Amino acid sequence: MSMFTRKMRMLTAVVMESDRDSVVKALLEKGVMEFVHIGLLPADKMAKLSEHSSAVPKAALTDMRVRVETLMKEGGMKLPEISAEAADSLPPLDMEGFRRTLDKLSLSLQSIRDRQRSINQEINALSEIIRYSTEKKDDYLDLRVGMPAHGNADDLHARLEQIGGVFLFSRKPYISLTLRRDSSRVTDVMDKFGWTESTDSEAQKSAGAEAIGEAKALTESCRNELGKLADEAAERIRSNGKALSDIWTNVRVHELCEHVESYFSYTRNTSLFSGWVPEEYSDDISALITKVTDGRCIIEWTEADEVPRGEVPVEMSSPKVLRPFEHLVRNYSTPEYGSINPTPFTAAAYLCMFALMFADLGQGFILLLVGLIGSWLYRKNPTKPDGIISRYLCSLLIFLGPASMAGGLLFGSCFGFSLIPALWFNYDAVVEGEPVQGLIQDIYDILGITIKFGIVIIYLGLVLNWINLVRKKRYFELVFDKNGLVGGVMYALGIWFAWGFVASGYRTFPSSPFFAPVLISCLALIVIKGPLEAVLKAREGHKESVGHVIMSTVMDFLVEVLEIFSGLLSNTLSFMRVAGLGIAHASLMSAFYQMADMPGNIIAKVLIMILGNLLVIVLEGLSAGIQSLRLNYYEFFTKYFTGHGVAFEPVGLRSRASAD
Amino acid sequence: MSRVSDYAFINAKLRARIGIMRESSLFDEMIKAPSLTEAIAKLDGTHHAGLLEVYRKTGDLQQVELQMLEDEIALYREVGSYLPSVPSEFLSVLLEKIEVDNVKNCIRLWYSDAVRHHLISYRSSYIYKGSIVHRIDYDAVINAVSYPELLRAFRDTPYAEVLSSFSLESIASRGLFPLEIALDHMWFRHLDEGIRKLHGRDRKTAEEIYSVDADLKNILMLTRYSYSYHLSPEDLEKVMIPMGYIVKEAQKMGALSSDDPIAVISGIVKHRYPRVSEEIARIRRTADDLTTVDENNREIVLIEAYLGERRQSEYRKILMGDPFSIGVVLAYFFLCLQEDGTLRAILSGKYYGWSEDKIREGIGL
Repeated sequence: MSMFTRKMRMLTAVVMESDRDSVVKALLEKGVMEFVHIGLLPADKMAKLSEHSSAVPKAALTDMRVRVETLMKEGGMKLPEISAEAADSLPPLDMEGFRRTLDKLSLSLQSIRDRQRSINQEINALSEIIRYSTEKKDDYLDLRVGMPAHGNADDLHARLEQIGGVFLFSRKPYISLTLRRDSSRVTDVMDKFGWTESTDSEAQKSAGAEAIGEAKALTESCRNELGKLADEAAERIRSNGKALSDIWTNVRVHELCEHVESYFSYTRNTSLFSGWVPEEYSDDISALITKVTDGRCIIEWTEADEVPRGEVPVEMSSPKVLRPFEHLVRNYSTPEYGSINPTPFTAAAYLCMFALMFADLGQGFILLLVGLIGSWLYRKNPTKPDGIISRYLCSLLIFLGPASMAGGLLFGSCFGFSLIPALWFNYDAVVEGEPVQGLIQDIYDILGITIKFGIVIIYLGLVLNWINLVRKKRYFELVFDKNGLVGGVMYALGIWFAWGFVASGYRTFPSSPFFAPVLISCLALIVIKGPLEAVLKAREGHKESVGHVIMSTVMDFLVEVLEIFSGLLSNTLSFMRVAGLGIAHASLMSAFYQMADMPGNIIAKVLIMILGNLLVIVLEGLSAGIQSLRLNYYEFFTKYFTGHGVAFEPVGLRSRASAD
Repeated sequence: MSRVSDYAFINAKLRARIGIMRESSLFDEMIKAPSLTEAIAKLDGTHHAGLLEVYRKTGDLQQVELQMLEDEIALYREVGSYLPSVPSEFLSVLLEKIEVDNVKNCIRLWYSDAVRHHLISYRSSYIYKGSIVHRIDYDAVINAVSYPELLRAFRDTPYAEVLSSFSLESIASRGLFPLEIALDHMWFRHLDEGIRKLHGRDRKTAEEIYSVDADLKNILMLTRYSYSYHLSPEDLEKVMIPMGYIVKEAQKMGALSSDDPIAVISGIVKHRYPRVSEEIARIRRTADDLTTVDENNREIVLIEAYLGERRQSEYRKILMGDPFSIGVVLAYFFLCLQEDGTLRAILSGKYYGWSEDKIREGIGL
């Protein structure tokens, strides 16, 4: 792992047109190159180059891929991994053939859905009759019990079925249960068959219940059929899984090739392309292109420092284990090329903050368990969508749990009880005002710890900023900026001053012969920053009027001093929230502990403590997580993290579709 | 309670939802999908995923539409529960619009069975039968065998009064259009009363929104019924929504009793909405050679799409304005209903096998 962002080099290569496809596939297989357009060549040379023209437009390939993905998703299928062998031995792109295959599958799915629809309509029709019967709305029903005098019973049955209802023709007398609104239609049909109502009062009495029973049985069987058809639809897709996977692989590889080749420029016989590669892969890439082209190529490398910093893509080279924290950093922004990789510092700061706010051995263990079980479940079901406890949260909990457990060991807290001896001091006892021996005796001491912790974090941020500025050779900012050396010195003065004031019991301010000269020197540096900047600009040809320089110097001085004093002061005091959350955590657990004692019943006590712990884990865990994030983003990152970088996005066979 | 405390929570909640709801790429992918099954499968992983589940289980688009209606009603109720009593009551008036449409659907079904003697069989299952605002016995409506029976089904609701001014004979001879217009106008009267009950900034915002809304709908009415179907001034008066600047100005100027009411009203539109007027004229100019009914309909669709865009931009303006008023709630509902409308149109288009272009034209994409 490097402390800084990964070093990059830009490759520019010319290969024979006949070698183009092999080069593209080899580079995709390697998957370490981010292609850039060649747009900075002189106009006369550019005129000799032509742009890539496609046999199948990339948009058509993307549409086809999305179509296959939709069908695969509908069948609960995973997207296949593209192997180098599969990419090399692809059959030709047969878009028309693919379309026919997909259309055929889509048509068969649609026919299943159409069958489902018919069955659903049948269920709806029967459900209306059942509902009227259940709700005693018999007025809306038309029950008839009888026999036709002439004609075929099957014909009568078929014609009544067209109207809709429940018809029992397998027993005698026949039963017909329809909706009253269809009475006239039913009568018309029955009249044609000379229907005569049965005089059997028993049959008349039981007919309604029999018909409803039949309707319920029919509905149930329709529902089963509906469920089977739903499964059949997914199964139909899965049975075409091989064909779908093959189409997807073929289309995806061609789409990636199209994407890469869209960056290529061409002469009659050669292809020219360019892209960024991490420095450690540059030799591999050179060797790869030379091998694939049998040496028929020209390769040139451009170092990142020959290109404006903002144009160089950035990759953070953090170890895999720190990925959850890299995610936190990415959420904020991408660091500038060549600057410090914030991930390890963020990980350390975040975990310390969380441990101080949520220090409990038992609760930390629960967080760890949730993280481990969640990660295992997601690994077991890779297609499962993220729930409230997402994949990312699970991976973060695997770190936060042990951090909280470490905090619990330091402060002797386990599920809110002082079950274990504290390695540092008993946090719960201090919060509850119990007499405690040692350096930390009351809540003010806890607040003091967190302020000291804040000072360390802020200074760490400033030092990282100075390192970044030295690497970027921005010495002017290093000296004069509010986050530069001037700011650092003034912050040190402020800390010394506040320390002395607190040490005197808030009675007198400290005095020292170095204080005034250092402060005045710093202020003088801030004052001369504006004029000095104006002189430097004037040397570069950007002259400013004297009046403008004076005005901006005065304004900049006032704003800068205010920002240094109030900004750094508020940043430092902001860390008191770490103590606040920690105290709230201890107080809440203490409150639940007292509530648990109230009923005087061991079962109730256990239940209240379980409930209390659950509430505290969810609420306090969430608060501590958010506050740690906030302190990192606003108090720590603002000191050194400019976020002006552009993320490195290499294209390879395993690139996510959205990446290009 | 201050306006800030009344609206701070709901404003943040709805803005967050608005942020994730506009997925135009989703609609584009759905339109491009070659079949209904593939189009609806695109809803997987979106906030409409529940609809996909219904389709997977039933294969029935109408069942999906019923689910959408249920979701819309639930949405109004949920947002209403976060609001203080006065704006919450106003939301009930807005919910009543959904009820009016549901009542219209139900009456159409009854009309189909009782007047036109068409078999409605399972279709009644797609009517929402729960209580939306008023207690209505929808089963009684669908199964009514006479007009008095239909009226009885609506007793103790505001619909009874509207329905009582019609008869089976008038409906049988003139169709349902006059009744539906009367129901719409009843709702607009309720809306007007609802707006008057709002206070301060809320009232001003609602007045502004619905005045423009009524104007744009009236312009559409003029386009649809007067220009294409050549309604008489009396019928025109009955069709126009009794709200907004255009109607008030037309009444002031006695437009409907003039020799050429359409010209007078067009003048009012031109004065109040010059850009709308210009755009309609432009669409008509480019569609000068349209002769068939289909082509005329196409012109109306284009104008409808333009007015829809215009209404959308009005709501977008509201979203950029005062966050602590009912404006954000109204804009949210507009965007939700518009999104649902687009979804319905795409799914229907796919069901009927329409081309991509025809679907796009219909929804103004």
